[in-house]
Amino acid sequence: MNAIEIRNLSKSFRGMYAVDNLNMTVPQGAIYGFIGENGSGKSTTEKLICGHLVPDKGEIKLFGKDYTDAGVRARVGALIENAGCFPNSSVWANLMMQALNLGIQNRDEEIKRVLKIVRMQDNAKIKFKSCSLGMKQRIGIAMALLGNPALLILDEPINGLDTDGMRIMREILVDITQNYNCTVLISSHILGELEKIATHYGIIRQGRLIQEMSAEEMDARSRVFVSVKTPHIPSALTVLQRKFADVRYEDECIRVYDVDDTESIVRCMLASGQPVSAVEKNKVGLEEYYIELMSRKESD
Amino acid sequence: MENTRELKFEQPSFFKRLKGMLGVDFYRLFHTPLFYIFLGIAAIIPALVSMGAMGGGAKGVEAAEATAMFTNAWQIIAAKSPLYVINDMGDYANMNMVFIFGGIMISIFIGHDYKSGYVKQLFTTHAKKEDYMMSKSLLGAFSMACMCITYMIGGMIAGAATGLPFTINAGSLICAILGKMIMSLGWASLYTFINIIFRSKFGISIALCFVLGTGIPIIGAAAVIGNTPALNIFLYGSSVYACLSANFVSVIVCLSVSVAWAVIYNILGSWILSKRDCY
Repeated sequence: MNAIEIRNLSKSFRGMYAVDNLNMTVPQGAIYGFIGENGSGKSTTEKLICGHLVPDKGEIKLFGKDYTDAGVRARVGALIENAGCFPNSSVWANLMMQALNLGIQNRDEEIKRVLKIVRMQDNAKIKFKSCSLGMKQRIGIAMALLGNPALLILDEPINGLDTDGMRIMREILVDITQNYNCTVLISSHILGELEKIATHYGIIRQGRLIQEMSAEEMDARSRVFVSVKTPHIPSALTVLQRKFADVRYEDECIRVYDVDDTESIVRCMLASGQPVSAVEKNKVGLEEYYIELMSRKESD
Repeated sequence: MENTRELKFEQPSFFKRLKGMLGVDFYRLFHTPLFYIFLGIAAIIPALVSMGAMGGGAKGVEAAEATAMFTNAWQIIAAKSPLYVINDMGDYANMNMVFIFGGIMISIFIGHDYKSGYVKQLFTTHAKKEDYMMSKSLLGAFSMACMCITYMIGGMIAGAATGLPFTINAGSLICAILGKMIMSLGWASLYTFINIIFRSKFGISIALCFVLGTGIPIIGAAAVIGNTPALNIFLYGSSVYACLSANFVSVIVCLSVSVAWAVIYNILGSWILSKRDCY
């Protein structure tokens, strides 16, 4: 069963389509990385799924049921833009209110459980407004985790976090999908981080989903390259460009694309008297894949 | 994928949903100072009203005229008779003022729901739009009913302090206070409706709640069409009708009008919420 199924979804603001005939499928149990540039429609799509916005047309199904179904909605947690907490209330009070809203029986235990997951158990008494950005994001996750959600929708949850905060967030997300039977839809601009956890990707552009794939498919589609380090860049570049089709100088080394045979490259370099400091086989990462896809779409 | 075991989705009943929403609202009401501040304001108003009635320290003829505004301590709580056209401040300055301050309190309460973004948390989960309208209306009604009680206590203390007599038909007094407390539901629904239209712009909501709470439109209408009981179909009209000459019929009128307007505003509010984006 799919956790989210969206068909022909559209939403406009003053005649401008933020989401335009969007089709999207998020499999159950996935960590779905939702990628797109600013204003591409990621947040709008997430708000539509959460029921914050009213769609112009289209269909949204969560676990095979209409997205307005109260039974399904009771198992949806979200962190959209901010945690949605009362600044003058304590972390505990904010969580208590959401626990009451969800009709959770053992509220104290449940709050302690989610605070432990997000590693905030020692900060329950402090006021929300006194929390750091990273703490606020984690409280938002804790709020979304109350009641053991089947679907978690997170809009830029790692924005503004430091390296340690990002690592904690990453571990939390992997933990909840593996141990709590939860599906996660996460949007982020920090593609390097997303790449470490996502099992599926959806790339949105101008309100339309232009690509949807699993991490394995993404891996298979990614271009391979061999990176070569040499002290004589210009002459080595000329030598390699004569022999190979796509050779570029990127990230302080020469990249020879669509080639995974390091030997032939080293042989070519040595034959022309070019020294080789280092040579390494590699694959294009999510970030580069995304940039390339976007530039391709731009030129189309 | 290993995590694809079957999930169960239990349908929450209407009462479970409403109980959850009321739980949130009442928890917030009792755990933030807003409610207690407004209870305090409602208790202080009668003292200010009675001070005004005593002429605020004026002497001689001026003080005598001012004192004449009230001849009985209970007039601090309700007018002698249902006068829709205001002759003097004494007709106006009574427990009806709770409905003005109640409007401001509801505006701040709902405004913070939107401003903090908490409304997103509510609507992401199983809460329906009608649950939100209903819960806020009931919460507002409870708050205003509590304010009526603190106003009454404040009024009794102020009445005792001014030395005005407390002679009254107990039945009429109970009907008047009960009528005004019942009217809280209608007023709270109106204010909730106004606030879901203006959402986070609670400055506009406060201003509008204030204007409607003062009863200016009805007082204006009464000035044109006269002192007619037909005005009882409106919230302000019925609130005035719950006066010191009230009886059981007055309570029934207040109940009918309050519930009718509460239903109308709840239906309209739920419809607007379901058709509009949350923020």
